[in-house]
Amino acid sequence: MDNVVQLIQENEARLNVTYGGQNGDLPDAVSIETTDGDIKTMATEAVAGGGIPGIPTDARADFGDFVVERYPPTEDRTHHLIQLRPKTEFGG
Amino acid sequence: MSKIVTVVGVGALGSHFVQFLRSEDVAINVIDFDRVEQKNVQSQFHGKPNVGKLKVDSLKQSMQFLYGVRIKTVSNKLVGDNVDVLLQGDLIVDCLDNGASRKLVQDHVRAKGIPCLHGALAGDGSFGRVIWDESFVIDYESGPGAATCENGEFLPFIALTSAYLGIATQIFLAQGKKSSYSISPGGVIRI
Repeated sequence: MDNVVQLIQENEARLNVTYGGQNGDLPDAVSIETTDGDIKTMATEAVAGGGIPGIPTDARADFGDFVVERYPPTEDRTHHLIQLRPKTEFGG
Repeated sequence: MSKIVTVVGVGALGSHFVQFLRSEDVAINVIDFDRVEQKNVQSQFHGKPNVGKLKVDSLKQSMQFLYGVRIKTVSNKLVGDNVDVLLQGDLIVDCLDNGASRKLVQDHVRAKGIPCLHGALAGDGSFGRVIWDESFVIDYESGPGAATCENGEFLPFIALTSAYLGIATQIFLAQGKKSSYSISPGGVIRI
């Protein structure tokens, strides 16, 4: 885990994707300036190609209605985190 | 003196979450205007005998009967005119099911500086968020007919997300530290 964190530069982020109830990180860090649209494109291509460990390959993956969230580093997490996740409209 | 935890919305997430407060030294307030429906029995901590009752009364009865824990209840709908009166306490936990009400909560806690923890679920049971207000982005409803995560098949995931609400609350009450989580059936990550 520490080795992974050390590979992420100050202007980069770990991209975490949740899709189909599974969760995984893109193997490579992404620039923190990557647009939301490009994040979705990268994730679509990665899932279609089986490129995200933990997420089954799906050539029809669609992230159009997903949300991109960006979290700056914290005391516990020394790198930026970008999360691509389903909408959470429910709570009740 | 015990801290006051106010839970807004005691449906899927909120009803299960309140159970986890029974071992905390807190006074519990719950707010919800809705009544228990038959379909809720599959996914919420409301039993068949309480169908038709107010959810807050159902929960009050269950907490008293099962655990000997008394809770304070409010059955008003949260609106702009009553938010100042109803949303008080040392910690607000938002388990609401619509963006407009969440916005009322968010505006209030930010104006008053009250710590607030939000719980939210994807309608297809694939993802949950337990996020402190500082980082919480409201997801507004897509429109009528959107999935609601109320089917009984999602019960274990609803309970899991509720448990993380409990864990985040426990850590906050004990240490003052705000821990947020993203939860999916495939795993949990700290935000």
